[in-house]
Amino acid sequence: MSDVKVVLDDDAPIVPLIDDAAPTKIRVRKRGRITKWLAITWLVFIVVSAIGAESLPYINHSCDQFDNRLECVTGTKANIRYSERPPAWAGFSDSPQSGEPARYGLMGTDKNGFDLFARSMLGARTSLIIAGLAITFGLAIGTFLGMLAGYFRGWVDVVIENLTNVLLSFPALLLAIFFVTFFNDPNTSSATTRPLWPVIVSLVILSIPPLTRLVRANTIAYAQRDFVVAARSLGAKGSRILFKEILPNIVPTLMSFALTGLALLIVAEGALAFLGLSVEAPTPTWGAMISFGTTPLRDGSWWIALMPAFMLFLTVLSINLLGDVLAQRFNTREAIS
Amino acid sequence: MNTRLQAASRQVDGPLLKVTDLHTHFRTERGLVRSVDGVSFSLDRGKALGIVGESGSGKTVLSRSIMGLLPGRNTEKSGSVIFEGEEIIGLSLKARRKIWGREMSMIFQDPMTSLNPVMRVGKQIGEGLKIHLGMDNETARETALKLLQDVRIPEPEKRLDQYAFELSGGMRQRVMIALALACGPTILFADEPTTALDVTVQAQILELIGEQRRDRNMSVILVTHDLGVVAGHTDEIAVMYGGKLVEKAPTRTLFANMKMPYTEALLRSIPNIEDPSHTRLNVIPGRPPDLVNPPKGCRFSPRCEYVQPKCITEEPPLLTAEHAEHVYACWFPVGSPVYREKRAQLDKESKQKLSKTGVS
Repeated sequence: MSDVKVVLDDDAPIVPLIDDAAPTKIRVRKRGRITKWLAITWLVFIVVSAIGAESLPYINHSCDQFDNRLECVTGTKANIRYSERPPAWAGFSDSPQSGEPARYGLMGTDKNGFDLFARSMLGARTSLIIAGLAITFGLAIGTFLGMLAGYFRGWVDVVIENLTNVLLSFPALLLAIFFVTFFNDPNTSSATTRPLWPVIVSLVILSIPPLTRLVRANTIAYAQRDFVVAARSLGAKGSRILFKEILPNIVPTLMSFALTGLALLIVAEGALAFLGLSVEAPTPTWGAMISFGTTPLRDGSWWIALMPAFMLFLTVLSINLLGDVLAQRFNTREAIS
Repeated sequence: MNTRLQAASRQVDGPLLKVTDLHTHFRTERGLVRSVDGVSFSLDRGKALGIVGESGSGKTVLSRSIMGLLPGRNTEKSGSVIFEGEEIIGLSLKARRKIWGREMSMIFQDPMTSLNPVMRVGKQIGEGLKIHLGMDNETARETALKLLQDVRIPEPEKRLDQYAFELSGGMRQRVMIALALACGPTILFADEPTTALDVTVQAQILELIGEQRRDRNMSVILVTHDLGVVAGHTDEIAVMYGGKLVEKAPTRTLFANMKMPYTEALLRSIPNIEDPSHTRLNVIPGRPPDLVNPPKGCRFSPRCEYVQPKCITEEPPLLTAEHAEHVYACWFPVGSPVYREKRAQLDKESKQKLSKTGVS
C-alpha cells in the first residue's frame, strides 16, 4: 500500500476533459410536452381573466347587451329579458319571443339573465383567491409543524401526530362545514356580507394535516442523511439545520404537492359553495354557480350548471397536470444527485 | 476563547485525547446492545491512529461517541474522554457545538450523501466559517476557495458555484475534507473515508489526509475495515472486536509482531496480489458476535482457530507485550507454545485435505 508512488509531471499540458464551449443542440423527446403547454396556457388565461375580469375586453364584450356592464356579472337585479339563453354555439334553436335573441354569448345566461362567461371569470377570482390563500397558509403551518415533529421527534412528534390524526379521521367536508358554520357569526353574516375568511380558515385547517405528514416524513428521511450529521458535526444549530439543510431539500416535493393541494382546495371550495356555505350570492364562485344551475338542469337548461363546472374541471385538470410535470422534473433531479 | 487558550497551555506534553473505559450502550427491544464496551486509548497531537475492525465491531460508534454525535435517546454512555485536558463526556449540546468543527470534525464514508444536494459547494464550506469564525460572505468565499485549492481540486473557482451532483466521487470527498478542515480542527475523524471510492482515488484521498495532517499538525483517527488502508497512513493501529479493543500497537510493531489471532486472521484475509489466480480467499469463519449477548470469555473465541478451553470461560485482560506501547487481549497469543502447537496441527490437516481432493 505504502509503496504506491504518484508521479506528477508538472510540465504536462492540462487538457480540459469537458469542452463546454461548443455544445451541440440535441432535441430530446419528452413525454407530455403539448399537454404541459396547454395546461400552462389555460392557467395563464384563467389567472389573467380572474385578475382583470371587469376591465378585460373579451369579458366586456360578453356584456354588450346590458345597459350597465357591471350588471351582467355582479348585478343584483335580474335581467329577465335574457333569462336562460343557451350559448351562441348551441345547435338547437328555441322559439324566440319577439325581438329577443334566442342564444347569447359564449356560455349563455343563467336564470337571472347574467352572462355565464363573464361570471365564470369573476368566479375564478373568488375560487383562486380562496384556494390560493388557503394552500399558502396551509403550507406555512404544515411545513413548520411537520419539520418540528420530524426533526425533534419525542413528545413534540407525539402531540403533532395525534393532532393530525384527529383531524384526518373526520370526513373532510363535514369538518369544513363545521368550521364554516362555527366561524360565521350568525348575527353579522347576513346573506350579503358574508366574509371570505371563514372559508379560508376552514380550508387551511383541512390542508394542514396531510401537509404536516408529508413534511414530517421527508424531514425524518433527510435528518438521517449524512449531510445533516456532517452539518451537525461542524457545529450547526438545530434551526440552521432545519432551514438551511433540510428545508431546501423538501421544497421541490412540497411544490408539486402544493399544486395538487390547490386543485383539491378549489374543488373543496366548490363543494362548500355548492352547499351555500361559501361566499354569498352576488359574488360569483364556481361552486355556487353550479349549485344555482341544478334546478334549471331539469328543464333542459344544461349550460347553466355545466359551463362553470367545465371551467372548474379544466382548471383543476391543468393544475394537476402541472403538478405532475413538476413532480417528474424534481424526481429526475433527485436521480442525478 | 480565553478558557480554551488556558486549557491548551495547561497541558502541552500530555496526550491530546485520552479515552478511558468508554462504554456506549444502546437500549433496544432485544436488549442492551454493547456497541462500545470499555475502550481506552490515548492519542498525541499530530499523530494518526487507525481503528480497524469488521462491520459491527463498534468502530463507527466509538468515533461518534468521542465526538458526542450520537442521539441522546436510548443511549447509555459512561467513561471519560479527556480532550485537551477537559472532560467532554456529558457536555451540554451548546458546549459540544463549540467543539464541533473548530476542534473536532468528521469525514464520512459516502461523499454522495454527506454533501447537501441543494447547496452550492462554496456556500456549504462557507457556512462553518461564518458560524465559527464570524467571517462575512466575501471572506468566507475566499477562504473556501483557498481550502479547495488546498485539497487540490481541479478548477477550484468553478467548483465554488457547482452543486455536489456535478462533481465526481473523488472530488466530492475532497470537498468533504475541505469542509471538515475549514475551521482548523485539532482532531479529524475519518470514518471509512475511502470505502465508497474507486481504488485509484483511494490512495490519493489517503495521501491528501496525511498531507493535511502534517501541514496542520492535526491528529487523525482513521476508521476502516481495511488493514491495508491504515498500514501506510497511521502511526498506531487499534484493532476492535465486538465493541472491545483487542490489540493496539505502533503500526510497524503490529505488522511485525502481531499477538492477537484476530489481527492475524484479518491480515490473512487480504488477498495477495502474487497468489496464483483461483486461490481461495482466506476468510474468518462465522459472523461478528451478537452485541446483546456477547460470548462469555474471549469474544473472538467462537471463531478462533486456536481456541482453548480457557478462552471460552475467562475473558483475557489487556496485556502488554515486549514493546511497551503494544497491548493485546489474548490468553494464547501468536507465537506462544500453545499457538505454535495448534498451528502445526492445522497446517497438517489442511495439507491432508488438499491431498485427498487431489489438488496440489
